[in-house]
Parts: sequence; structure tokens; C-alpha cells
Amino acid sequence: MDLKSIALATSGLIALASTAAADPVELDLWTIDDPGEYHYVMADEFMAQHPDIKINVRTVQFEDMVNDLARGVATGDAPDITYIDNPEVALFASRGLLLDLKPYIEQSDIVNAEDIFPGPLSSVSYEGGIYGIPRGANTIALYYNADMYRAAGLDPDTPPRTWDELYEAAKVLTKPEDNVYGLAFSAVATEEGTFQFLPWLQMTGGNYDNVDTEGAARALSLWKKILDEGLASPDTLIRGQWDSTGTFNAGTAAMSISGPWELPRMSSEAKFDFRAALLPVPQEGADRASALGEGDNVILASTDNPDEAFLFLEFLYENMDRVWNDFGYLPASKVEVKDPKYPEIYAVFEESMKYARNRGPHPQWPRISKAIQTAIQSTLTGQATPEDALAAAQTSIDKILK
Amino acid sequence: MLTFTKPFRDGAGFDTVLVTLALGYLVLFSGFPLVYNLVMSFQEVDLFSLASFDRPYVGLDNYTDVLSRPETWGIFLNTVKFVGISVAAQLSIGFALAMFFQQNFPGSTWLRGLFLAGWIMPALVVGAVWSWILAGDFGVLNHVLMSLGLTSERIFWLSDPNVSLYSVILANIWLGVPFNMILLSVGLAGIPEDIYEAAEMDGANAVQRFFTITLPMMRAQLGAVISLGVIFTLQQFDLFAALTQGGPSNASNVFQYWSWQLSFQYYEIGVGSVISVLMILFVILVAAVYVRSTRHEHIA
Amino acid sequence: MMKKYGLTTIALCLVSLYLFPLYWMYVTALKSGTEIFANPPTFWPDNPQWMVGEVWTRLKMDVYLWNSLLIASGVTIIVAICGTGCAYVLARIRNRWMDVVLFIVLMMQVLPSSLMITPIFVAFNQVGLNEVPRTSVILAQAAKVLPLYIVLCRATFLQVPRELEEAALVDGNSRIGAFLSIIVPLARNGILVTSVLIFLQSFGEYVYSRSLITQRALQPATVGLQSFMGPNTSDWSGVMTYSAIYVTPVLIIFVLLQRQIVSGLTSGALK
Repeated sequence: MDLKSIALATSGLIALASTAAADPVELDLWTIDDPGEYHYVMADEFMAQHPDIKINVRTVQFEDMVNDLARGVATGDAPDITYIDNPEVALFASRGLLLDLKPYIEQSDIVNAEDIFPGPLSSVSYEGGIYGIPRGANTIALYYNADMYRAAGLDPDTPPRTWDELYEAAKVLTKPEDNVYGLAFSAVATEEGTFQFLPWLQMTGGNYDNVDTEGAARALSLWKKILDEGLASPDTLIRGQWDSTGTFNAGTAAMSISGPWELPRMSSEAKFDFRAALLPVPQEGADRASALGEGDNVILASTDNPDEAFLFLEFLYENMDRVWNDFGYLPASKVEVKDPKYPEIYAVFEESMKYARNRGPHPQWPRISKAIQTAIQSTLTGQATPEDALAAAQTSIDKILK
Repeated sequence: MLTFTKPFRDGAGFDTVLVTLALGYLVLFSGFPLVYNLVMSFQEVDLFSLASFDRPYVGLDNYTDVLSRPETWGIFLNTVKFVGISVAAQLSIGFALAMFFQQNFPGSTWLRGLFLAGWIMPALVVGAVWSWILAGDFGVLNHVLMSLGLTSERIFWLSDPNVSLYSVILANIWLGVPFNMILLSVGLAGIPEDIYEAAEMDGANAVQRFFTITLPMMRAQLGAVISLGVIFTLQQFDLFAALTQGGPSNASNVFQYWSWQLSFQYYEIGVGSVISVLMILFVILVAAVYVRSTRHEHIA
Repeated sequence: MMKKYGLTTIALCLVSLYLFPLYWMYVTALKSGTEIFANPPTFWPDNPQWMVGEVWTRLKMDVYLWNSLLIASGVTIIVAICGTGCAYVLARIRNRWMDVVLFIVLMMQVLPSSLMITPIFVAFNQVGLNEVPRTSVILAQAAKVLPLYIVLCRATFLQVPRELEEAALVDGNSRIGAFLSIIVPLARNGILVTSVLIFLQSFGEYVYSRSLITQRALQPATVGLQSFMGPNTSDWSGVMTYSAIYVTPVLIIFVLLQRQIVSGLTSGALK
């Protein structure tokens, strides 16, 4: 044992002794992860580096997070740090419940707001403040079954680039006698439906505050045509993205619109050559858009230990280059991912991220989203024409935005 | 202080204690949430003011809001259909099964026990299993129906707006049959065998015996089973969450699920509470009918 | 004799029709993820994978099931203690006050747990019950199922002849003595069956536990199952394996106990 290691060992001992003397700082962290996933792994690694900080991780179900958090805030049981899905940040920020990280980020050597992609950055920005740091990002693209392309006489190297091409491809690929649908996607009446529809709206120049547009009507008409002609399963109306893509993996749908979270399961279960392409655009040369998913790490304004909490957020940000390979989502900032898994598909999603746009931000996001879902569902069930449904949605949204 | 008539030599206090124990417990743990809901229905409530009573009162605004929504009437009708059909079917199937297993045949008790599986299975699991059985493309129900030639087209049980409510009802009937059956079995077992024997000697046939002996003797159980059935059906929540989420386009939405959606998905808590209050009003009606029906028990 | 076996055959058909969803649960537990979405569906998995051991250890099901057992037992005990007497009084005495009591009892279980939880959470938090999360679930769930118990037990007590009790009182028993030594034993089958139903309902309790119990080590099996069913991590055959592990023991115990429970019913409440 040389002197240096003795010195290290002693200083380690002193560090241990001093932490034993002073109580470690405790941080409560709420997450939607299960043990073995992102926040649990990261908290363990962080605690190994910072023995004076103890992180208590608690899993909350994704769909309960907002309610549990609100209740926690109301009863004084809120955590110090939590995960929030990105359209919900504005709700909490607007109530002054989140710590504005801007001053911390300005001091930080690790986090540089300019490195964060615009979509994810906008999801944590509210009225000039920055209320969180994206933990990663995801977006959607078009998965397709290259074997079915070949069998149907299509060229798997030129996947559909426009809506018309998508429709044509779906038509050729649909094989009712083999129980194969051309396309799988999700128009379910939840946030997932909005998530899938919004890019279609944005590609034609609309957005959440401007839904009653010709482009939106065109998109909805196309969705309806796809369903009416049996190119996608009627269950699209009630099925989330994960279950819809399950049918793609099982070989009963030739294409599927979904995100990178599908890849681990797809690579173990899909017994065919699967590839991915950017979401088709309304016509050649139109603007691209894509959905922006994943959530943010935020610090509650009520925390007693903002400095330690921010230290942990910095640590998470520092490890952004690992999120694709280790945890299955895309980096939300400019980092280089070495040796990405599924390199071709990673390249597609990486490009798609450039077009990913935030949902909102608006503190009443769930109600805006509901208006959009209602328009989708009433059109697809034939209760209203796309134009009427979108006009009704616009009326409800205007009332919320007023 | 409640005072009761003294049916026995002494000890009305004993009765009071027994009743107060249960009633006190209920008022403490269930009465408070009900009142809380009632109060919220007159207030402007958001997610962050849930924990305090100090919220702005808005009079009947939430009520007029609910009544002015275009979807309210349809969801109300769905609720009535859901409760009516579920209870009627559960009761008749449960009654039929209870009478069937009442006959003494080899394995009757054992086989009857297996019906309780529906009661044991957690609703989350029941929902997941039914969602596969009813799935349009790969669901086994469509597969069986098409193999038997009963239908040539696939039925989209969960996503066809004309069918989805009935699919949830189907799963709910499945869930409720064991409860009805076992309770009615208890009642049937309580009817003395010699009454039937006497009636048979008098020449009454099976149908007559059913209407003159079984039904009247079962009044207490039937009243309990029906009113509890209505209340349980009004509480059915997990099946909607697992099967259709009230969709597509509210085609299978009912009050209890809608109230939850409004409060906890769209954070319109005051409006969600109005729906709860409407449900409470409905149950008041059911409870009153039940209490009235118990008046006949001792005459019978 | 032939007729009897004919009835058995019909009963077998009915049972297998009814139990099909249960069968489907077991079969799905054996399938791979993609085979679940296969069309046409397979009635027996091509390549059965039985993952009981793996699911059991990975999800620490022993802890979850122990908590479920604890919660269900606690609820059943509280409900039996609080409810039996009330059910008895409601069966014996008829007057307007009793109508009111019965009415209130029914009213108390009108709303689904999902709508009751917020006020309960807030109230429990105020009085510090959140320090003992399993106890708070037991208290809340007992209130949820107590009305059911009272209504069902009341029907049982109605069948106990009043004369027997009066005779006991004439013999010099106190009210409590007559209640505990005559009435309750006579109604024991009904009480037992109702308690079993309450136990099973509480064994599957989910909404309260999810909100009131934050520590994984204290959560019951339903909450464990739900966290395993999360939107994007769902592994349906794993979920069904979990459910099978959860349901099977209860089912077996029930089928075995069935002789005591249901045959007690068929021989009449009074024997």
C-alpha cells in the first residue's frame, strides 16, 4: 500500500466519520420508475459518490403522479425532487410549486441551458423561468416490417415520405385474408391519442391553440379513411401505443407509429426485419413535426435542501449520454452517444428529435388535450365531421385559453 | 339519544350499543367523505385546494355546468342501462344457478364452489383477461363465434360505439353472478324441505311451487341482493378502466367513471363532485326502496 | 340415478363455460408476449413458459401476499366485531328508527373507493394515521365493506327463530349471554360465509392501498400487480403469472373449505 492510497483511505475514513457525526442530508425522490430503472440506478450511483446525501426513492404510478403530487403539496408531504411528465410542468410551475432553476443553472459548470434541445427546454420553461431539467426525451416515428414490404412488392428502402404515400402503402400492405392491417397507431381518448395526433396538426401549421384548420381536418379525414377502409384495426380507438405496437410485433400490422420505448420488446419478439422512418409529412417539402415525450426532473419549491437537490439534478444531466443505451430513451441535450444500440433506428429517432415539439406549455393542459381527444374520437366514430369536431374543439380550447 | 321499543324483558341499551358501534364507525369513516364530496360540489375546487375547506363557493354553478354539457344525458342513460341490465342478468342467472345447484347431485357442492372464482379474482386481472377475450382482432370470443359460424364479420366489442357498453356489461355480469348465486343459495337453504313436500302432495307443480313458496320465502334475500347489486354495480370502476375507459367517444361512459375522469384526469373536481352527488341521490332512492321492502319480511 | 349424473354433466358444462376467463388467465400466463396478440388465438401455447419462480422472486411476492393477508384479516375482524351485533339488532327490531339506521348503513357505501380516497387521505393525514399505513387501509376498507356485511348478516339473523332467544332469556340468560351463546352459534353459517366474502373482497382491495401505502414493503399484492402492469413496461404473461400465483392458493383453499362453507348452507342454517 503506497502513501497515496493510505492518504485516500484515511480521508475516506474521516469523511465517513464526519458523515456519521452529522446526519446525512435526506432527499425524497418520486419517480415513475421501478427498481432497477433510471432513477433507482442513478440514485444509487449518486449516493456512492456523495455519502453525505441519502436519497429515498419512491415509485408512483405514471397516471397517479399529478394527483399524488398535488395531494402531497396540499398536506405537506411533497418530495424534494420528482419526475413530472413534460406537459404537466406548467401546471405546477404556474402555482409556484417548483423551484426556478435558472439561477442554479447560470452558476452551474455542468448544465448549460443552450445545450438542451428546444423542444425539451420549452417543456420546462414557464414565464421566463426554467423549472426542471429534462431527464431525456422520446418521440415517435414510423416502424415498418421490411419483410412485408418485399412480399407486397414495395421497396423497403423507400418508406412512405408523405401522407399519400403512407395511405397507399397501408392499402397495399393490408391483407384481411391473412389478418394483417397496413398500419397500427393509437387514437385512444387519453393523452396518448393527443400525443400521436399533435404532430399531424403541427406539420400543417396548426398547434394546440389553433386546431380548427384545414390541415387538421385533412389529417383527421385521413385517419378516418384509414379506419373506415380497414387499413387499421377499429380497436385503434381504444388501444394505447404499446398494445397497438404489440400487434405489429406479432405480425398482424405492417407498420406502426410509436416511439423508442418499443425497441427492447420489439427486438426480442418481432421475428422479422423491422426498420424505422421519420413520420410522413402532408406533402413533399412540408414542415416536419414530431411528438415530444418523456419527463423532467424538477425540484419542489418547498424543499429544505435545494443545493443538494440541484447537485443530484446535475449528476443526472451529466449522465445524459447513457440514457439511450442504458434506459431506452433519447438524450434531451447535445451529447454524443457512443456505440448506440440499434444504430439505424437510433439515427432516425435522433433526427426526429430535431422536429419534436412540446405539448403546450399550458397549466390547463389536460383539458386542452381532452378537447383534442374528443375531436378525434367523435370524428372517427362518425358522430361528427372532421370540420365540426375541430370547430367544437376550438370552442372549448378558446374557453380554456381566454 | 335513540330510544327503542323494548321487545324483550330488558336491555334496550344493549341494542343501542350494538347499533351505535357500527353506525359510529360508518359515520366516522364513510360519512365524512360523503359530506366532503357534497361540499365540494358547491365550490370551485382545484387540485391544490383539495385539502382545505376554505374554497370559494360558487352556488349551483357546477350543477348547471354538468347539465349544460352535451354528453351528460348520454352518460346518464348509459348508467341506467349498465345498472339495469347488469342487475337483472346477474340476479336471474344467479337465481337459476342457485336453484340448479340446490338439487342434490354428485359433485354439486364442489362444482358450485368453483363459481366463486369470479369473486376471488382481483378486478384488475378480470379487466385484463376480458380485454383479451373481447379484443376485436385477436380476441378469442370473435374467433369462437366465427368458427361456429354465428357471425361472419368480426365484432369490435370494445371499440364499436354501439357495442362497447354491452361488452362491459357482459364482463360485469360475469363478475356479479357468484355473489348473487351464493347469497340466494343461503336463502334457498333456509326454506324448510317439508313445505315443498307438503305442496307437492297438494299437487302443486314446479312452477307453482316456485311462485308460491320459493319467491315469497326469499323476499328478504332478494331485497338484499337487488339493492346491494345496484349499489355494487354503481361502484364498478375497474372494468371501465381496463376495458374501454368509457370510450370510444363516451359510448360506454357511466357516472362513476366520468366523475373520476373529471376529478382526477381533467382536474375539474367541483364538477366531478356534482356527479358523485347525483349518484348519492340515486342510491338514496334505492336504499329507500330496500328499506320499504324489508317491512314485509315479518309478515311473510 | 341417471338423472343425477345428467345434472352433473350439465353442471360441468356450466362451470367450464363460466371458468373460461380463468382458463384464459392460466393459458396467457404460459404464452410469450407476442403470442398473446397472435391471430387466430391459440388455445394452448406453442411453447409454454412457466415463470412462477422467476416472477415470485423478482417481484418479492411473499412480502406482497403477506400484506394482503394481513389487511384482509384485519378488515374481516373489525367488520365482524362491529357488524354482527348491528345486523342482529336490525333483524330483530322493527321501528322507524331502525329503518333510518338501515337506510344510513346502505347510504354509506354509495361511492366507489376511487372517489372516497381523497377525503380519506386528507383526514387520515391530519390525525397522523399515515404513520401506520396498513392500519389505515384496514380502517378505511372496513368502513367500505361493513354495510355489505350488515345487510347480508341481517338476512341470516332473520332466519333464527325469535322463540329460541326468548326461551333463553326466560332461562335467565342476560341479553349478551343469549346473543353470544344462542343466536350467534345458530347463525354461524351465515356469519362465516359473509366473513369469507368480506375477506376475499378485502384481499383484492386496491384503491386505498395504492394511495395510503407508500412503502413497497407494506403494499399488498394488488398494488404490486398494478405497478408491474405499468403502461409501457407491461409484460402480460408475467402479469398473468402473477395473477395466477395470487388467485390459485385462494381458489384451492376455497374449494377445500367449500365442504364446510357451502354444505353448511345446503343443510340449512339451523342445523
